[in-house]
Parts: sequence; structure tokens; C-alpha cells
Amino acid sequence: MRFPPLLALTLLAACAGGSDSPSAGTAGGTLVIVVPGDGDVLLPPVTTTATGALVSDRIFPRLAELTLALNTVDDAGYTPVLARRWEHLDATTLLFRLDPRARWQDGRPVTADDVVFTFEVYRDTLVNSPLRPNLEGIAAVTREDSLTVAFHFRRAYPEQLYDATYHLRVLPKHLLDSIPRGRLASSPFGRHPVGSGPFRFVRWRPNSDIVLAADSGYFLGRPRLDRLIWRITPDIATAVSMLITGEADAMEVIPQREEIERALRAPALRLVPYPSPFLAGILFNLRGPRGAGAHPVFGDRDTRRAVAMAVDRATIVSSVFGQYGEVPIGAASPMQWIAERGAGQLPYDPVRAARTLEERGWRDADGDGLRERGGVPLRFTLLVPTTSRPRQRAAVLAQAQLRTVGVDMRIQPVEFTLFERRSADGDFDALFFSRTLDPSPASLLQFWSSAGIGSNNAGGYGSPGFDSLVLAAIAAPSRAAASPLWRRALERLNDDAPAIFVYSPRNHAAMHRRFEHVTIRPDNWLATVAEWSVAAGLRLPRDRVGGDR
Amino acid sequence: MSPWRLAWRRLRVNRAAVAGGVLAGLIALATIAAPLLAPADPLAQPDPVGLQNLPPGAGHLLGTDGFSRDVLSRTLYGARVSLAVGLLAALLAVLVGGGVGFAAGLSRPAVDRLLMRGVDVALALPRVFLLLAVFALWEGVPLAAVILLIAGTGWFESSRLVRAHVRSLRDSDFVAAARALGAGRAGVARHLLPHVGATLIVCATLDIGNIILLEAGLSYLGLGVQPPTPTWGNMILEGKDLLFAAPWIALAPGLALLFTVVAFNLLGDGLRDALDPRRAR
Amino acid sequence: MLGFLARRLALAALTVLAVVTITFALVHLAPGEPMLGNAERMRADSATIARQRARFGLDRPIATQFAFYLANLARGELGESFVRHRPVALVLGEALPNTLLLGAVALAASFLLGVAIGSVQAARRGTWVDGVLSIGSLACYSTPSFWLGLVLLLVFGQQLGWLPVAGMTDPAAPEHVGPLGRALDVLRHLLLPAATLALVNAGAIARFERGALVDALGAEFVRTARAKGLSPAAVLVKHAGRSALAPVLTLAGLSVPALLTGSVLVESVFGWPGMGRVTYEAIFARDYNVVTAAAMIAGILVALGSLLADLAVARADPRQRPDA
Repeated sequence: MRFPPLLALTLLAACAGGSDSPSAGTAGGTLVIVVPGDGDVLLPPVTTTATGALVSDRIFPRLAELTLALNTVDDAGYTPVLARRWEHLDATTLLFRLDPRARWQDGRPVTADDVVFTFEVYRDTLVNSPLRPNLEGIAAVTREDSLTVAFHFRRAYPEQLYDATYHLRVLPKHLLDSIPRGRLASSPFGRHPVGSGPFRFVRWRPNSDIVLAADSGYFLGRPRLDRLIWRITPDIATAVSMLITGEADAMEVIPQREEIERALRAPALRLVPYPSPFLAGILFNLRGPRGAGAHPVFGDRDTRRAVAMAVDRATIVSSVFGQYGEVPIGAASPMQWIAERGAGQLPYDPVRAARTLEERGWRDADGDGLRERGGVPLRFTLLVPTTSRPRQRAAVLAQAQLRTVGVDMRIQPVEFTLFERRSADGDFDALFFSRTLDPSPASLLQFWSSAGIGSNNAGGYGSPGFDSLVLAAIAAPSRAAASPLWRRALERLNDDAPAIFVYSPRNHAAMHRRFEHVTIRPDNWLATVAEWSVAAGLRLPRDRVGGDR
Repeated sequence: MSPWRLAWRRLRVNRAAVAGGVLAGLIALATIAAPLLAPADPLAQPDPVGLQNLPPGAGHLLGTDGFSRDVLSRTLYGARVSLAVGLLAALLAVLVGGGVGFAAGLSRPAVDRLLMRGVDVALALPRVFLLLAVFALWEGVPLAAVILLIAGTGWFESSRLVRAHVRSLRDSDFVAAARALGAGRAGVARHLLPHVGATLIVCATLDIGNIILLEAGLSYLGLGVQPPTPTWGNMILEGKDLLFAAPWIALAPGLALLFTVVAFNLLGDGLRDALDPRRAR
Repeated sequence: MLGFLARRLALAALTVLAVVTITFALVHLAPGEPMLGNAERMRADSATIARQRARFGLDRPIATQFAFYLANLARGELGESFVRHRPVALVLGEALPNTLLLGAVALAASFLLGVAIGSVQAARRGTWVDGVLSIGSLACYSTPSFWLGLVLLLVFGQQLGWLPVAGMTDPAAPEHVGPLGRALDVLRHLLLPAATLALVNAGAIARFERGALVDALGAEFVRTARAKGLSPAAVLVKHAGRSALAPVLTLAGLSVPALLTGSVLVESVFGWPGMGRVTYEAIFARDYNVVTAAAMIAGILVALGSLLADLAVARADPRQRPDA
């Protein structure tokens, strides 16, 4: 068997690319990523946009990173980055030893003071970091010596390492200390960040592009790619055309099935599948108007179950996503490890749904095809944000399905900010939510427990049984011990039907074929980009421009 | 023979105008008779997996959309909202704009200046942004308010054009002649009306399409008409996502919109020629 | 003429003040608040929200806020963007030249194209040429701009590969191409979005040019010229064309707002980093300061457009001298 010369070259290059710090021959390549929106600030504690986070994450590393398995409970699920190793001093103290080679991109060493400073910034109410609520388990962070920090937790629990590493990206104290905390977001630093990560900031042209270059001084080895370029293109069809023409190389996820299929016809593109962090569904409001009493329709568990059983989730997923979506097993996204052995939602059974509705007194007395009870029609309004096409499509499909069992669901498209506000105020019958979940299942507590009512638990579902299951699962010392508890909690949720979990997209990153060693960690698809590379023989002109000069 | 009868006679021999009139009439008829003509229920989703995005063919003359709904039926029903909004808003806008422009063009300079300065201020308002802001930030704006707002923010251009036209004609020979023959302000106005009417008709015919397009953009934001009720606007925007994969979904309402605009314009041109005796050839 | 200019400029200032007032009232009275925290990722507690509101003065009565805004405006301060955490002057200052470039090229192209088409139609009135051009310009005019844009993008960008699909420059290109190389790069990126805007606008201008020319051809003074034995072409260009220029110039001046707002969709389709997109996003984020300032800039441009159109009309048609 003979290899074509190009392929042989590729193989050679692939072998050579294995070393820790690539030689001049293997380094090279420009990855152009197309994103729908611009960033706001390139400073991790205050950025609120997806693009801002994706870019700044490449500049500011964590103490340790989750491995691809996303096992958030066991310490074995983490790999060292800024911290070389860590140890549990006692049940509530976690000690990190920093890597002495770690340097800021201005040459200063990364020290324990930086980590202490970072925690203070994230926790500061003046900074108003959206991540601050995640740090409530940490009482204090102290400097032990210049390269050692101790995290002191309020109580013993298994996900301490997760909380200490996942939410914090270490910031340079010497560059940020002089800026008033309330002005961090608007400081010039957020537009010209200096970090300690594998890539350094080069240029940002608003609404056009953001450019990062490989940092040859990165202590864990220079990335193989020279440059990362984000190009901002709001229109999906245009973005896909950019992939097809080669103006862009990669896109995190193509949100429309028809566009995925169009991209697949381009021979230079491939799809890299990864489990989705998203979960979308119809949330019922269990409380009456203005939070008083029970909702006339959804206050009743059996009625909720009937409505849930009348919605054919599989058909909705097939129609909207085709093979690029799935029906979730419950309140978990496919990315989360608790979704592996899931419980499964109530079945689609319109006959049983109709029977239950009859039993609960909802009957079609006037023959218009819709049910009423005591003169009150079985009607509710579903809020859908105008920004989401998949949710609007799914809502129209569910509307037709519910009508066949005599339920009158009205769809009200709402502008996104108003949608959020009405959700927070509990001012809705039902709403079509979509959430990007964290790898840790602990977020179930915020969304569905009694403790979350008034903040993230917008529907007001509260069940002591569910609460105690989740609290026990969070306290369980290992994944093996936690797993059955999480499963029972999810089952409980499915049985009580506070929501219909309608879809999770099956995510596929679109990627030009010349990129090798592409692995995708679902919670942060560029987490491993420093290891991606372009074979020497396949380089385009833009791959040879070079990043570090 | 009355001048209107003469105009009618001139209109009848203008082939383009007749074609436009017939087309406009057919569109209006089809809109009214949508329940009789539509082959299917515009809301029915027979099989949203197996029958979605079908290309035009025997079962569905214009294909189906992403929900397996019949595109032909939806286009027919969609005309109802779109045409109502387009016609009513255009009519309202042109009447107000024409009135103000005509009055300004004939008034004393002080009044003229006042009116036109007001219009200048209004014209400088970024209309689409303001409409966007109103419809996006306030929920559930009723359809009547949509029409009023579109008309209320859309009459300034026609008023300026009409006024410019009136002023350019005011000093022309035939007005001077009329004045010399002792015509007062009302008499001059009567002389000018047919000319200005022509400008108004062009404004209105162009406006209809413009407003239907505007309605398309606003439907996208979820104002007034709620799903699943079809309008050409929300159909085009639903189809936009599939423009490369299933072009017929946006093409059907898009062509309907195109034909409507062309029809009204041909008719409008014909009317103008017919109403203006100087144009008779 | 100078007095006229001074009056018009004073009026333009008044216009802009009205635009600012209306926009300010509209965005502040609309339900919903700026996204001061990040609503989607995690909700800020009420104390934090209250502090943020106080920082931007959002807890004061709207009249007080407006007074503050005007006082700042008088000192040339446009405030800070809530969302982008930057001075509004910077946010809009970066986007405005891009929109002006796109809009100016589109306006010039649509004017030339529209007048040319309209003149041919008027000269060949009633022939098949007139009919075809009539329907062609109508079709252009009644095509949604995003749709026309996507089709042009698909054909010239993707299928033929002649022009880039999106953006204003190629960010991956080498830095050392020189000013000429950079200008060429921008030009290549400019062609498709400018053509989209120009085609839609040219349809309207052609219709008016034709109508105005046909009107003028019927006017007495043109008949007189014709009777004097001037050639039809000379009549069309010299006499009718001159008088028909007025409404078309007025229309071109009036196209400024249409081009500005029409650019929102076109900028989105082609990923053009312009003001339309910034403003559109700001409306939805309730980024009050950006929306108000953008409306003000739009108001200034529109006022300028109509002033220039009036001046041009006065030059083209002496009978319409403003002080006549």
C-alpha cells in the first residue's frame, strides 16, 4: 500500500507533534472561529458574554482543570494547571502548591498573593461577578507561603476541589490591585488583558474580530497553533457560508439542522460530536397570580402529569433537530455525569392524558374541542423568547399536540429581557426555558429545591422528599455513592412533573479537516485548543503567518 | 363627458394598468376567498417529521414548511393580515401626509415653514429603531396600534414630496395663467390637485410594499400577530432560516408580496396617467 | 444664502434635541431594565442591583435623569455603555465610520443607478424596455434586503467565490500589506453589502425619476422647448432632466434614514461592524445611553442629508431657491 505524499507528510507531522513543546516545524496554524456576538470584557470575573468568556478563558487559566470525563466529585477527575498539586489538610481545608514555572505574560511569577487576590475579587459585591454565588462554600483563602495557598471551606463536602478551581481564573494582582473594584469591568485592562495562559492578547476590533497569539513563554509548553481568531457574524446562514468558503475554520455548534446538512456537503468540513450542556423545556408555574395560592391549572400534580404526557417530545425533537437532538432523561443535560443512567420522563400517552384530565374534571362540555372545568377553560399562555428559533418551533409543535387532547396553549413571544424578568417575578403560566448547565449536578438544588424558590426556582416547585434526596446526593463522598441518590431525585422530579423536559441538542462542532488532535470538552469547547494542531502539509497561507515574532 | 369618465376610458386602454388592476383584484379576491381556495387548514400539522419541508409537488402545490403545514394555504391566509396592515397604514399615511404637504405648499411662507420644520424634525427620527423599540420593549401591542404607529410615523416623506411638487408647480405657467384668469387660492388648489394626486398615488403604492416589509421585520419580534397565525412577514422570516435548504417556504410569501407590490404600482402608474390629462398621448 | 444656512443649522440643532428627548423618554419608559448583572447566568441580589442602579442614576426620577443627561451632553459627555462597560463615544465612534462608508457608497450607487434607469424608462416610455425596467426596479425594491443579501452572498461569495462572504477586513491576513492592500481588502468586503443596499434603494429612486421626468416632459416649458425644435435627447437632459432632478434629490436626501436603518439587516447578514448592529443590540439590552446617542447621531445625519438635498435642489433648479 502506498500513501499519497501529502498523507505521508501528514502522518509524519502528526507523530512529531507529540512532544510537550513543539519544534518550529510542528508549530503553526491559525484557527478562525466564527461566533454570533461580540465580547464585552476580557476579564473572567466580570465578563457576561459567551464570546468574552471563551476568549478570556484562553488567557487566564485555572488552578486545575477537569478532564474530559467531567467527573466533578472525585479528585482524580482533575489535572494540574497553575497548581502543581493539592492536598486535603483536613475536612474543610484544601492546600494548593503553585507551579513555580508559572509566569504572567509580562514576566512576573504567579504567586499565592495572586490567588488570594483573585478570590477577593470574585467575592467582592462591588465587582458583582455573576459567579459569586458559586463561591458561598468557601469561607476564606489564605497565603501559606509565596507558592502555597489554603482554601478554607464552611463545611465538609466532596465537590470542594470543583468549587475551588472551576469558578476561579487566576488574576494578576500587580496589574489590577490599583483599580477600584467597582470599575474593574470598565478598566482598560479588560480590553488589553495580561494573563498567564497559553495564549496572549493581540487585538480586538469591536464587532469584527478578536485575535490571540500563542505565548511562547507558557510554562506548560507553547500551543501548537500560532493564532486564534474570533470573527463576529450574527447571521447563522452567513456563518455557515464562511465555513464552506474557508473564511472561517470552526463553529461551536450549528443551531439548525438544515444548516448542519449544508455544512456537511463541504468536503473540507467535518463535525466533531460532543455531549450537550443544554437543557430546554416547558416550565410550569405552580403558584397562582402574584405568587398567591396554587395555579388554577398547574397547581394540580395530576393535571401537570397529563399535560406532560400529551406532549410528544420525540416527534418535536425529530422535527426540529432530526438526528441532531435528543429527548433529555429529565432535569439533567447529556453532558452531566448523572445523565448517564437516567430515569426517563413520563411516557407520551395522549389516551392516558385525556383520561386523567376527565378524572380531574376537565371536560369539553360545549363541544369546541377544548376542555373546561366549572366554566374555566383549560388554557394557559406559554412565554417564548423571540431570540430562540428552536424554542419557537418546538412551542408551535407542542401547541398542536396539546390541542388534540383539548388543552388550549397560547404562545406569547416575548423579548428576552422581559422574558427573564417575568421569569424572575413568577409572572407567567408556563415558559419555555433553556439552560446551559454546569458540569456539577449541584445546580439542581438552585433550580428545583424549596431553597431556590424566590431566586432560580421560578416555577415554585417544592418537595421535602426531593430536597432531602439532593442534599444527601451532594454530601455523598464519592460518585458511586452519589449516583443512586441523584437518580432517585431525577425520578422524583419526573413523577411530579414541574416541567416537561423537551430537548437537548446533540452538539456538533463544525471544524475544518486540517486540524488534528481535536478533542472537545463539552462545558468549554475550546478547553483543549492548546493541543490542537495543523499538519505541516495541509497549511493554508494564513497558517504560515505566524503568531509569535 | 365627465373628467372621471375620460380617465376611466384612458385607464382601460393602458395594458399595463389593466394587468396591474386585474392582478390586484385577483389578490384581493383570493384573500377574501382564502377559506374556499386553500387546499388545507393553514394550521394543521399532519406529520411534522415525515412531511416537513416537502418541495412543491402534487400533494402540496407550493410544498410544506418545517411543521408540515401547507405553504399555499398559509400564503393565502397570510395575505389577510399583511394586506390589511399594508393597505390601511399606507392609506392613512398618504392621506395625512398629502394633506399636510398640500396645505404647506399653498400656505403663506410662515405656515409653510412651521409645518415643514415640524416634518423635518419628525423625519429625523430614526423610524425603524423607534418602532423596533416600541414593539420590542412593550409586550402584546394590538394590531390596530401597529397600523396607527406605522402610519403615524410614515407620512412625513409623502408630505415633503407633495409640498415640493406643489411648490414646483405653483410658479409654473399654467398656475400663473389660472391666477391671471382670477382664480383664488381654492381655484389654484383645484388645478394642482390632479398633479399632486399622482404623487400621492406613487407614494401609496410604494408604501404598501414598504409597510408589508416593515410588518415582516416586526412580526419577527413577536408583535401583534401570535403564532401560529400566518402573515407574509412571519412566513418569510420563518423561511429565512431555511433559505438554502427549503427555499420555497420563503419564496411563496416573498413572491406573493412581490406580485402585490408590482400590481399596485402598475395600477398606480396607470391611474396617474389617466388622472393627468397632460399625460394623455 | 448665509442666513438660510444659519436658520437651517439652528433648526437642525432643534431637531436633534427633539430626537434625543423622544428617544430618551421612549427607552426609559419602556418596561424592563438594563441588564446590569447577567440575568441569564446568575441573578444578582437586590442590594447589588440597587447599588448598580444608583451608580448609573437609574433610581432617580426620569426628569432628573434627563436633566443630568442633557447637562452631560452639553459638555460632550455621552455616558457609558452598561453592557460594554465603555464610553458610548468610543462604542459608537468605532462603528460610525464603517456605517458611513457603507451608506455613502450605497447612496451614491443607488442614485446613479436609479437616475439612469429612470431616464431610460422615461425616454422609452411605453415600450417593452420601460416595462422590463419597471418591473425590475419594482422587484428590487420589494425584495427584503436580508434575502437579497443572502442570495448575493450565496452566488458571489459561496458559489463563484469571487468575493468574501462576511466582515469588513480579513483578520487573518498578514499585517504588512500596506495601505493600498488594506484599502483593496475593505473594498472587496464592501461590494456585496453595498450592492444589496444600493439595489433596493435604486428601485425607489428609478421609479421617482421616471415619474418626475414624465411629469416634466408634459410641462409647458418642455413642450415649448420641443416646439422650438430641440432634439428629444436634449429636451430630456437639459430641460426635463433639470426640473425632474428636484424631487429625486429630495428623495436621495430622504433616503439617509432608510439607508441607516436598512443597514441593520444588511450589517447583520454580512457581519459588517457598523452602527446599525450596535444600536439594534443596544435596544434589546436596554443600553439606554447607547440607544439615545445612536438616535442622536442618526438624527444629525438625517438633518444633514435633508439640508444637503435642499442645497442641491436649489443649485439644480433656480426656481426653488430657498430665499426666492
